Formats: sequence, C-alpha cells, structure tokens
Amino acid sequence: MWSRKSAMLGSLAVAMYLLGLTLRNSQLVTIAVVIFVFLTWAALFGSHADVASSGRRAEEWSGEEGVALNSVTAMRKLSSARIFEDGEVSVTLRMQNHSGLGKILEVRDRVPEVMRIKSGANYILMELPPRRETFIEYTVECPLRGFYSLGPVAVRVQDPFGLFHKEKELHVYNDFLVFPKMEDLKETFVKSRVPKIFTGAVNIRQPGPGSEFYSLREYFDGDSFRSINWSAYARSGKLMVNERERDAVSDIILIVDSRAVSETGPVSRNALVYSTRAAASLAQYFLGRRDSVGLITYGDEVVSVDRDTGKKQLYVILTKLAGAMAKGNIPLQVVVNRILPHINKGSPIIVLSNLEDDPTIVNALRDFRARNFDVTVLSPSSLEFEFDAKRLDRTGYEVLKTERDVLISELRSLGVNIMDWEPDMLLSTALAGARGF
Amino acid sequence: MATKSGDTSHLYDGKTVRSAAPSRKKLAAKGSAGTDIPKDAIPQVEVPSFIESLLGGPVVPKMKFLPAEKMVQNLQLGTYGILIALGILTYIVTPAVGTIWFTLFGSLTAANILQLFIVIGAVGCGFWGTMARDARFLLGSYILFILSVMRFASSKVSLSQDLFGFADNDFLLTILVVVYAVLLVMYFELSNGVLRFSMLDTSMRTREVYVMNVKKIISKYHRSLVINPLIAGTLAMMVLSANTILPAIVRLFSEQMAQRMEESVELISVYGVALGTLFVFLVVGGLFALDLPTHLQSWREKRD
Repeated sequence: MWSRKSAMLGSLAVAMYLLGLTLRNSQLVTIAVVIFVFLTWAALFGSHADVASSGRRAEEWSGEEGVALNSVTAMRKLSSARIFEDGEVSVTLRMQNHSGLGKILEVRDRVPEVMRIKSGANYILMELPPRRETFIEYTVECPLRGFYSLGPVAVRVQDPFGLFHKEKELHVYNDFLVFPKMEDLKETFVKSRVPKIFTGAVNIRQPGPGSEFYSLREYFDGDSFRSINWSAYARSGKLMVNERERDAVSDIILIVDSRAVSETGPVSRNALVYSTRAAASLAQYFLGRRDSVGLITYGDEVVSVDRDTGKKQLYVILTKLAGAMAKGNIPLQVVVNRILPHINKGSPIIVLSNLEDDPTIVNALRDFRARNFDVTVLSPSSLEFEFDAKRLDRTGYEVLKTERDVLISELRSLGVNIMDWEPDMLLSTALAGARGF
Repeated sequence: MATKSGDTSHLYDGKTVRSAAPSRKKLAAKGSAGTDIPKDAIPQVEVPSFIESLLGGPVVPKMKFLPAEKMVQNLQLGTYGILIALGILTYIVTPAVGTIWFTLFGSLTAANILQLFIVIGAVGCGFWGTMARDARFLLGSYILFILSVMRFASSKVSLSQDLFGFADNDFLLTILVVVYAVLLVMYFELSNGVLRFSMLDTSMRTREVYVMNVKKIISKYHRSLVINPLIAGTLAMMVLSANTILPAIVRLFSEQMAQRMEESVELISVYGVALGTLFVFLVVGGLFALDLPTHLQSWREKRD
C-alpha cells in the first residue's frame, strides 16, 4: 500500500515530468526519474510484502508447525478471563516469523479504548529474524465493567523509508469479562439500628443473628457473655449459650435502570456505572446472607434473572450487570406491570435509577407501595455528574435540581425510602441515608 | 427581597433538605444569573479541510517532540551536509535565464539576485526546519527548491557557474544533473527521516511504543540511505544516457542507423530523456500492475 509520503512523491514526479516536457527542462525530468527509481526500488525490495497469516488463541497452540508458512502468526494468552473493575489482566502475545526472511514489524495489539496499559506495551516495533518468535507482554487495567475483546493484532511491515507498507489484521481475539466493582456492605448493615432492616422477612432454619431461639450449644471462646444460658449452666454444670435463628429476608428484587438516559455524564462517572456497582454490592451482601436475590435490568428490553441463592447466582447477576448496556427508554411502569404477578408480597425491592426522563416513575412506585412492597430507591444523580464535568451551566443545574427534589419529595410521600445519591457518597452511606439511619 | 445576583443558596437556609447531601448548599448557585453556556462545556470539533480529507490527515502534522537524541542528531547532521551541497549545486545548475522572474523583470541581474535569494531561502528554511524539526519550514524549503528549478531551458543544460568546465563534457554534465537530482531526493528523504525518527524517539520515550532492537532497525535505515540513492543515481544516469546507449545497441545491427540516431536532434534533446523516462514509467507501472513486489517477496521467502 502506498503511504501518503510515497503518493506525494509519486505525484511530484509526474508533475515534474510533465513540467519538464513543457518547459523543455531536463533537470525537472531527471528529478522525476530519480524519484521514480527511488520509489520503485523501495517497492520492489523493501520487506513490505506478505504478512498474511493467521492468528489463533493460545489454547490452540499445537506445538510443531511443520512446514514454514511464509508468514507471521500471532497467538495470545490472558492471565484471567474474569476480573472486577480496576483489576488487571496480563497479556502475552506470541509473534512468530515462519519465513526465511527477517522482517521489521510494527505490531499493535488492539486494546479496548477504556482500558489503560499499566506496564509493558501493546505497540511494538521490532526486527523479527527469520524463523524466530518473540513474546510481547503487557498488563492492562480495566476500569469499567463490560464484555471486552482483545484483538485483532494489527501487523504492519514497511520499507525503511516508510514509502510502502502492508497492513494485515490477524484475527485473534480473546474475550473477557469485567464485573462491576463491589463495596463491602456488611459493616453498615450490622451496625444499623434495626437488626431486620426489611419488612417481609422470614426466619429460616439456620443459626445466626436474630431474635428467635434456635438451640443450645456449648460455650466457645469469643461467645458473648450475654448469650450464656445461666439456667442451663446451673443444670448441666457446663457453660451453655443460646443460639438464635437467623433473621433473613426471603426475596430481594434489584431493579437496575439501564435506559440510554442512565449513561448521562462522563464514561466512568454516570448513573449506570453507579447503579451496577451498587447492584453488585447488594447482591453480594444479600447472597452472602443466603438470601434469595433476583435482578431486573431495563433499557431497550426487560432482562431478568430469576431469584436464587448461592455463589452461582452471584456470578449470573454479575455477568448480567457487566453486560448491561445503556439503550432504549422503557418506562418503569412496564417493568412493574410485568414483574408484579411474579414476586412475593412484601418482598423488598431496591430500584437503582437516576429517575430521569420517565413520567411513569411515580405511578410505578405507587403500585409497589399500594401492594405493601418495601421499596428503596437509590438514585445516582446524573445532574451532579453533568455539573461536575462542567457540561451543565449553573442555572440549568439549579432548575433541574429543583425539579428532581420535587420528584424525590413526592416519592418520599408515597413511603418510598429514597436517597439522592451524590457522586462522592459511598454506597453504604447512601443506603443508610435511604433507610433513614 | 429579590437579589440581583442568581445566588439561590439563601433558599436552603434554615431548611432541612433530606434528599440532599450537606454539599448541596455549597453547590447552590453563587454565580450570576446569566444563561451563557460555559466555554469548556462546548466540545471542540475539528472539521478536516478538503485537502486533509483527501489525504486522510493534515498536510503538515503538528507534533511536539522531546529533545533530540543521538539517533535524530546524526540524521540532522546528515541533512545539514546534504543541504549545503544541494544549495551549491542548485545555484550552479539553475541559472536565472529562463526563470519566471527573468521573464517578468527582463533583467538578468535582478533575476540572478532573486534566484540566489530563492536558493538561500530554500537552504535557510531547510536548516531551520531540520533544527527545529518543524515540518512547515521543511515544506517551504521543498517548494522553494522546486521553484528554483522551474525554468524554460530549451532542452539544454546550462550552468550559472562553471568553474570546472563541466559544460564542455556532456557526460560530466549529466553526472552533475543526476547528482543534483539525487541530492534533492536525499534531502527530501533525510529531512523527512528527521521527523519520522523524532516521532519514533518521542513515542519510545513516552512509552507509547516499545522498540525491540533499535540499533538493528536504525542500521537498516542507514544502509538503505546509502544503497537506494546509488541505485537511483545509476538508473537515472542510464535513462539520461539514452542518446548514447540506444545508438550503441543499434550499432550492433546497423552502423548507418546508429549514426543517424546519434545525430538525431530528438534523441539528444529533452524529448530523448522523456522517452527514456516514459519507458521507465511504463516498466514501473507494469510491475505494479502485475503486483510484482508481492510475488517477488513470496518468491524470496519460498527460496529461503
């Protein structure tokens, strides 16, 4: 392929040739000849030709390649296929030159734009001797959740003067998943004033913090003195403690707003980012307590994860959250109408939404409250993100803020626990605020 | 009482706003009530010009380089050397006769002075552009060099200064013109190399790109800087000597025909050169049309 430089030189040569004929000037024609010879030599003998080849995943390495393939091959290996936000992935790219000619290669391993190269480099210029291979290693930091793909590997071979080059994309891709970052909520809830924070809770046959008696057992170091059953001690002569039945909620429904409007604000600081992180943290917390958690995301369609318990459920929820895309504008009322028949009465519902651009919000939440659901709304404020990013002028901010405050007050009057979640506020603080602690 | 400014923070005084964090009052407007959009809120949109869109980028890239390292400094020194030689040769092979300014002013002295100024300007711009690594000055220098050679020459190579009597010997005159042309192309390449390697050096030092075996890559470039001009010069020499080579070949078959060719006005004029050049162009075009570079490379790889 001609570079801009060679195209310009070629055009200059043609122009000089024609001008030389017009002006009967042999110097101009000579310059044109020299330029053309220069270009031709670079084109014919610069190592710009065949880089065509294949790219394969590292898992498919089969050892011996057998016959030389007259080509360059690329293979990639990742340290992990699943990480959390702000986590790192180590990438090893193996480049092989199967031909008998050394090549100067420009290799760029395509990394998603949102990722940062922490160490090493994904863009390498190297001289790869004949029938040799080299390993390129680098680490990427993944600051945002999502499904990502590394690749293709772009390889460029050009002549020393940069006149001609040949580019080839080696289609070797490695997919990986970045889960939303989670905040540890345990402390907040344990320290809350009310041990059972959600209505609709049921006792499950399992020892743990709670109010109902479960069984007696022997005293172990570390047990609270308050839990010692003195009458049992008097009877048996051994220190015995009361075990209580753990208070737990039956179902938790997390509703995440992933409409297009939820991505208003900077890429790394917007309502959807905050909502997914909050949903992930809440799911981890509740599933850690062996509760049953379900997830609904709505944007251009309503996607739901059925209620379930355990680590597998956490993985399913995290995967759904990682893939939540800001699209569409389905109103909350549609979601409510769809899920109402399927959820247990009294189940706590946590809605994560910026509450913008949806005229049905008040009615939808009223429907929940009318059926005695415990509704908590955590609302990351898109206005704050926009204002912080200086995309919103002060007057506009004030007007929109007032409208938002009015909406929040209206929702609060319905009995919804609601918190205007500002960007710098921790999730635990926002939750505590919503519950009025 | 209404306040003149747009300060709305007083609205929050003495009120408990449960939905808000304590910072709300701080955020409440302290500024004026103007509705102007802040400057930094307007995204910068760069629309490429017509030429930029044709070329796929700016004609003169604006890039800031880190201070030059040895690799770049060597190239700069080479460019200075070439530039001096090119300046002198340009002045010698491009007399003012036949230039546009000679036609405009009608005075040889004025045209000479202007021609000299153009050559000095080209060298000066080249020096500054190479030293400052500023593509704009280099582009200016290229244009001035080309401008200096644009003259009506009546198919004859004439010299402004002929200290060594080149004009008496056609072969030496051809060599002089070829050396001039090669130096001009070398200057284009070297000055461009200064920018290219400055970009590479900056990218390496800012860790945008990692370069394995830098010395080998640079030595390959240096080798090409010697080989390519030699070959270009030799081939150009052959093309320009068409009026000598062609009769010599024809002489093998017909002495009379060769004699006629040697005396042919067309063959010794610029049209003879153009004929040779056209032949080169056709060969080159044919090679590219047949995708010979790729076939040649494949053949070389298979052979090894």
